[in-house]
Amino acid sequence: MKQLTHFLEGFGSAVQLLFQSARFAGTLPRQRARFIDQCYLIGYTTLPIVAILCFFMGSVLALQSGYSMENFGAKQFIGSLVGLSFARELGPVIVAILVAGRVGSAITAELASMKVYQEIDALVTMNIPPARILVLPRLAAVLVMMPVLAIIGNLIGWFGGAVVCKYVESIAIEPEAYFSALRRYMKFKDVGIGLMKAEIFGFVVVLICCSIGLNTRGGPREIGASVTKAVVVSLISILVLDYFVTKVLM
Amino acid sequence: MNTAQQTARVGLFFLLGLALTWVTWETLSDGKLFKQTGYSLVAGFDNLKELKQGDEVRMAGVKIGSVERTRLAGRRAEAVLRIEPGIKIASDATATIVMAGLIGTNYIGLDLGSPGAPVLLDGAELRTKITPDINAIMTELGNLGQKLEGALGSLTTTVSGDGKNPGLFQKLDRLVTDNSTKIDTTMTNLASATDKINKGEGTLGKLLNDSKLHDELVATVSEIKAAASDAKFFVADAQILVNQVKSGKGTLGALIFDETAGNDLKIVTRNLRDISEKIAKGEGTLGKLLTDDSLYLSAQSTLKKADRAIDSLGDSGPITAVGAAANVLF
Repeated sequence: MKQLTHFLEGFGSAVQLLFQSARFAGTLPRQRARFIDQCYLIGYTTLPIVAILCFFMGSVLALQSGYSMENFGAKQFIGSLVGLSFARELGPVIVAILVAGRVGSAITAELASMKVYQEIDALVTMNIPPARILVLPRLAAVLVMMPVLAIIGNLIGWFGGAVVCKYVESIAIEPEAYFSALRRYMKFKDVGIGLMKAEIFGFVVVLICCSIGLNTRGGPREIGASVTKAVVVSLISILVLDYFVTKVLM
Repeated sequence: MNTAQQTARVGLFFLLGLALTWVTWETLSDGKLFKQTGYSLVAGFDNLKELKQGDEVRMAGVKIGSVERTRLAGRRAEAVLRIEPGIKIASDATATIVMAGLIGTNYIGLDLGSPGAPVLLDGAELRTKITPDINAIMTELGNLGQKLEGALGSLTTTVSGDGKNPGLFQKLDRLVTDNSTKIDTTMTNLASATDKINKGEGTLGKLLNDSKLHDELVATVSEIKAAASDAKFFVADAQILVNQVKSGKGTLGALIFDETAGNDLKIVTRNLRDISEKIAKGEGTLGKLLTDDSLYLSAQSTLKKADRAIDSLGDSGPITAVGAAANVLF
């Protein structure tokens, strides 16, 4: 019961924070510097790890599917399998998990520190809503950067699959055939669904991390606990949301 | 890093994302990134089956284009094909939907058409032909299975009976039961006969067990073979003879196949008949010789006179013999 109360409390806090931030949406142009700063942190600095992870995820996916599909002579469909899997599912989920781990944890740590060291209280005392200058730029930045990260992740993942298909002897499929199969069974709608999912996941991750960070109570030890909690809740939310979003968008 | 640099990087990053999204959209929208090349043809079918946008168009197995889009046109389905530039398709080329795999991969296959046929232009319609798909084949197989089941049912009824009439097995069973004594006797006799044969008794036994009989049989067969060989030579000679006769060589050949000889023979036969008729009528010397006995009588009288003359010659000597003979004769 206590856990349920905590869950509902956290959920309500996040929703409340969302509405508070939305109320200040008009102030975003005046916070351009903060917005750019968050875009840089969320998007630009996350790109290398997204690229590495997506490349190897695409490679492994092609390798595994090549190994499995060889048994019933369907190797020529690896391109479409990797393409669809990455565009609709793996790309958005991987990018969202990386954002949760790399960006979300940093956001929670920063906001929790500010809360613990009473900087948030000082802002409130000065009649500066934290939702306006701390949450809104982050939410806006993640909305802009997530599709960019997701599309780059998709392309790098597809490329990783193509590399494996060409150079692994047991698969031995030329990139032309790989991308031909990918194109034949894919529509931009599939990629669009993936981008939309990435957008939703990223937004929810940043909202959860901001909410947990701002609701931290206690001393420095609670900062670490909040970070752990934020990452765990973000990962669970991503996977749970993934099912429902997929169901809705299918 | 100053704010300007940071802003520039973020802006560049965002633009990169937009560009990649656009490239992906154009690529997955079937190559609209670049200007479409080639020309389009329309192929109408009753059913496009699993054919879909982006599937290949192949001519004699070589990819020459792709399915641009599929659409319903009245009471039929149409596939609009985008053919690569430079590919000429004869107007009598026929398009079929070919199944490339069991998991729903199809493509449009075109044959080469006639060499002298006019070339199809942009927007023209292709001839099409319906080919059975896997569902049709499975339906046929299902019908075949039903027929087979019916046939097997009939066979089962024949063999096992239908409740009212006994089947083949029941009839056989009854036959064996009714005639068990006879069958036993027959089997006993058969066992006895085979036993005798094994022991070499009787003609069959000796034939099977005695090697002497076998040798004789072999010798006989050899003689028959030799006789057959001789007969073969004889037949060959006869064949040569017949050939020669047919070619008109020799007397017999000339007689049978030479028309002149035949005509001569007819003339000779006719002459002989005339002669024999005249002889029979007593005409001519031979006829009179045969029918008139006066010649015989006069000859007999002459011979008597000659006989007397010879007798008188014995008396008057050889010089007067000629004179006496001449006197008698003339």
